[in-house]
Amino acid sequence: MKQFFKYVFSLFSLIIALLYLSDFIYTQVYINSNPRNKLQYIVNTKNENYDILFIGSSRVANHIDTKLFDDLSNKKTINLGVEGAGLSDNLLQLKLLVSNNTISNVFLQIDSNFEYDKPSNIAISEAMPFLNSNDIINTHIKKNFNNYKKLKYIPFYRYAINDPKIGFREMVLSFINKKPKTNPSIGFTPMFGNKFPLIENSLPETIKLNNIVLDEIIDICRKNKIQLTLYISPYCSKIKNKKYIEKLRTKVPNLIDLSKGYDDKLFYNCSHLNNQGAKIFTTNLYHATKDKIKS
Amino acid sequence: MSYTIDVYKRKLEPTTDFIAFSSFVSFFPQLVAGPIERASNLLPQFYKKRFFDKSKAIDGLYLILWGLFKKVVIADSCARYANEIFSKYESMNSFSLLMGAIYFAFQIYGDFSGYSDIAIGTSKLFGIDLKRNFAFPYFSRDIAEFWRRWHISLSTWFRDYLYIPLGGSKASKLLSFRNVFIIFIVSGFWHGANWTFIIWGILNALYFIPLFITNRNRNNLDIVSKGKTLPNFHEFMSMLTTFFLVIIGWIFFRAETVSIAIDYIKKLFSFNFENGLQYLSINRYTPELLILILCFIIVEWNSRENEHPFFGKWLNFKLILTILGIITLGVYSNVTDFIYFQF
Repeated sequence: MKQFFKYVFSLFSLIIALLYLSDFIYTQVYINSNPRNKLQYIVNTKNENYDILFIGSSRVANHIDTKLFDDLSNKKTINLGVEGAGLSDNLLQLKLLVSNNTISNVFLQIDSNFEYDKPSNIAISEAMPFLNSNDIINTHIKKNFNNYKKLKYIPFYRYAINDPKIGFREMVLSFINKKPKTNPSIGFTPMFGNKFPLIENSLPETIKLNNIVLDEIIDICRKNKIQLTLYISPYCSKIKNKKYIEKLRTKVPNLIDLSKGYDDKLFYNCSHLNNQGAKIFTTNLYHATKDKIKS
Repeated sequence: MSYTIDVYKRKLEPTTDFIAFSSFVSFFPQLVAGPIERASNLLPQFYKKRFFDKSKAIDGLYLILWGLFKKVVIADSCARYANEIFSKYESMNSFSLLMGAIYFAFQIYGDFSGYSDIAIGTSKLFGIDLKRNFAFPYFSRDIAEFWRRWHISLSTWFRDYLYIPLGGSKASKLLSFRNVFIIFIVSGFWHGANWTFIIWGILNALYFIPLFITNRNRNNLDIVSKGKTLPNFHEFMSMLTTFFLVIIGWIFFRAETVSIAIDYIKKLFSFNFENGLQYLSINRYTPELLILILCFIIVEWNSRENEHPFFGKWLNFKLILTILGIITLGVYSNVTDFIYFQF
């Protein structure tokens, strides 16, 4: 029996050691490899001057043709829209960028994301490798996640529960420095074609009283003298509860509403424009906001 | 049930040991999803005083470890793809549909045999031997062999408590056919009150009948290619054919309705290979999963004369690799229950 317990103890020790080893290897790979996602890129970016920064969800990543906006405005533009990201994720991006870089203009896309003030699990997973090395990320996760202690102190837990984004496959691709499909320093991920028939989508029926995360973003921009532009991008004709946009405009007075006037053929699906639509929208957005852009 | 039947048929002495009987009916490792144990095997083990057996306990740990690997790495990885393909089967090409059926085959095998291994392994830690429930069923050379290797505790239970009492194969040919159909249909019905399970049972009966008529249902009783590294061409083709028949059955087992299953099979045989490996809206990719399944098949093939891969040379290396596999390749972001918990 004593020998068996010794064996169990050695097996248990082996498991703990392998957990620490795996955690260490993954972390080192993500910290030291070339950025393959936008959050990695932001963490690694220092002493840069950005004229125009776009943040938001996939409705930013798919809608803002970075190069086109760059050409139209003649200003250094970057698109940091992340699929699944909410305002809380955008706040983290902004905090990280402001801490080490200079930004003149921020374009934030607002829509039904106004309803949420918690981070999305999809977007935040890209921040997990930096939990122990970056204070801003550490504080953000501590504030927003109930399982913070598990994420922080159980070896490999943060990678295990976020395996679709930062699991084995992504670690190997980062290790071999494989280039990502989307260059994070540009950030535009166009969608091609149309998913016809467009499936009906619905905006929320009611609206939140306020969003404290948006207030915090506005506050950071004010303190850092950043020109903040809030806008809403288009939806297809089949979108339901369009009145939500009117309600949103009352909550966000300076909101630039570009949600209407786009042919359904320009959509990949009801909430996302295709590459053609993105070009038209980027141009329209530039013309609607060019007077506000701070030099 | 088996206790009551065995006592009624005077095959087993009714026990007067309340503690042993209570332990038998509430033995936790196999209580939820099997293996289905008989009183004749399990009860006598509770009568005897047991002494700690280190080698048996370590063997139990190995089974638990391998079972865990099968569940969290193989079954749960395959589940994501299988679920995605089955839910969007209408827009999938023949290749993707074939992969969906293969993924489900490995999902259900990894899930259920993984659970059985964990149950048997846990039981071994207490010095109790449970019957083996899976014996590498996907290396079967015909359907009869498959059913001798898949969910063994259920198929032998049906054989002993249903098929043989009905007359088994000793009755007339016609009655024997009826008996074969009855056990397969009851086996399907045992899984749930849905026509998909009944059709799955009937389909397996139809696979089995030709072997039964030609008296070839007990041709392959030994381990395939025993002592050899690779199977010969005939064995390989037999295994491939059997596996293909099995996955067609699994389509009925997995589909929500019979009409969906039929539609799935129709699309599968439409030989539409446009777009090759189709994009799935999950952050995992087909080639990696295929490599994982291939590695799993190789490990299982090399272990087919044992219960698990932890034997012979490189034991510690195999253990480290398995633990690393569980840590790094396991699916923890979307935890799924064992499939057989619902049956």
